[in-house]
Amino acid sequence: MGVVKAHSRVRSSGPGTGVLPLLPFFIFTSFFLLWPIVAVTLRSLHGNENEWTLANYRPILKSGPYFHAFVVSIKLSLVTSIIGSILGAFFAYVIVKYARGKFEAVIDSVSAVFANSGGVPLAFMFVAAFGVEGIVTTTLKSLGWDIYADHFTIFSFTGVVMVYSFFQIPLMVLVFKPAIAGLRREWEEASTSLGASSLTYWRRVGIPILFPSFIGAFFLLFAGGFSAYATARALTVGTVPLVPIIIGTLVDGNVISDQANLGDALAVGMIVVATIAMAGYIWAQRKTAKWRSS
Amino acid sequence: MKKLALKWPLIIIASSFAFLTFVVPLYGAALYSFRGEGGKGHSWVNYQWLIHADGFYLNLFTSLKLAVLAGVLNLLLMVPTMVYLNLKGQKFKSLIDFLCILPLIIPVVSLAIGAQVAMPEILQNSEYELVFFFVIIALPYTYRALDTSLQTVALKTLVEASRSLGATWTRTIIRVIVPAIRGGITGALFLTFALSIGEYTITSLLHWETFPTWTVVAAQQNILGAIAISVFSFVGAIALLSIIALFSKKGARQVEVDE
Repeated sequence: MGVVKAHSRVRSSGPGTGVLPLLPFFIFTSFFLLWPIVAVTLRSLHGNENEWTLANYRPILKSGPYFHAFVVSIKLSLVTSIIGSILGAFFAYVIVKYARGKFEAVIDSVSAVFANSGGVPLAFMFVAAFGVEGIVTTTLKSLGWDIYADHFTIFSFTGVVMVYSFFQIPLMVLVFKPAIAGLRREWEEASTSLGASSLTYWRRVGIPILFPSFIGAFFLLFAGGFSAYATARALTVGTVPLVPIIIGTLVDGNVISDQANLGDALAVGMIVVATIAMAGYIWAQRKTAKWRSS
Repeated sequence: MKKLALKWPLIIIASSFAFLTFVVPLYGAALYSFRGEGGKGHSWVNYQWLIHADGFYLNLFTSLKLAVLAGVLNLLLMVPTMVYLNLKGQKFKSLIDFLCILPLIIPVVSLAIGAQVAMPEILQNSEYELVFFFVIIALPYTYRALDTSLQTVALKTLVEASRSLGATWTRTIIRVIVPAIRGGITGALFLTFALSIGEYTITSLLHWETFPTWTVVAAQQNILGAIAISVFSFVGAIALLSIIALFSKKGARQVEVDE
């Protein structure tokens, strides 16, 4: 604000045209966003004696618990983003097509709450519903289906998949709804008037148009699932080995490691995986934008 | 005819599926949270435990305080930035785009580890350090909220009119632009607030205690109480967001009429 004020005397063309008014933003993001990333990357490249080394990355790249954690994390994000993107796209379609006015506004806010609920409350809620003594578990049991009969627990990989889907599906609804809403009615009318069936319209027009947005949203879900921490932490207490959880236990000092900067290397490894996913997202976004403008 | 035939089956499939995946767990948790002593009967006992538990008010207050500060700081930083960007900062647009999407790319866990390495001692010793990181985490959302609403107003015309009538820049932003984009500002403020009040990852990795981290600790003593907290925060958030959604739709329509 101060910067803007300083230029207020220049009546004619506004607060200059330089970088000055954007300086607070650049300083803020450099210090609180870029600098931490650079700092953790630099420290991950240093060994116990403060010498330059790649040793911290070795446990991630050879088979062992850390490599395994990356495999499990990536598998979990893949499964939940596939479930989330397919079911979310279906919900988004039905909502765009049939929900109106106030009802749509309420669905939007409910989706926003659920999509951002990848937190602590979600974990406890699922324990209450699907835990050994949970309401759903006991109800199903009284109906003759014991979901705990074969190895299932809410604290297992399958359990985490269920919980993650709870925020992945609504996130997909939020992200993908604008794409479906952007399908023009005229396109469907044009294709029908040329004699195409509804199925042909979807196969030849609808799905090809929506595909880049769909893939983009899928990558976004993947990155979100990969980075999620709070839910898994509160739910599994380490029973499912995920990278963020392992970083958390290293930071808390619960695990003794002979490599002081191993946690940093894991953190950088996560950045690399998430960056690849987001590159896919940005690529798909460009494709979508091209479609819309042409 | 074909459409009519499809409509109800689709709605029924979608609603029953939504019911099973979203309503049943929430309802199950709500029922569970009303269980009485020793799991028998129904009572408010878990909610009573909650408000009498050690640290409930203290941590709720800490979270509220940090979330309000993050919301305010976010607006102070982003409103002038976004206004300038939309007026004449075009050449920086792609750079700022990128910086604002970065918090979505960088896993919060990694950012937290980085913060531990990079932040000066004086900041690391104060819980207010969290405010800055809450603002960072909210950037992708506030950027979108403000950008969308700035693009719907005739910003140049408004600014020129205000400036030619002799208003200073500060005055133009506060008296002309802010009212015109109040939908986006409410959205940005609420999003930052909501993200901050539920933030767990950075808070726990930097070893601070706020409402969400307190909940996890409290859950170890009383899981029913923790479930009560969860139900309370879900229902509260949905109610609040729905009210705001209905309210801001009305507000947006009013602006259209005004113009």
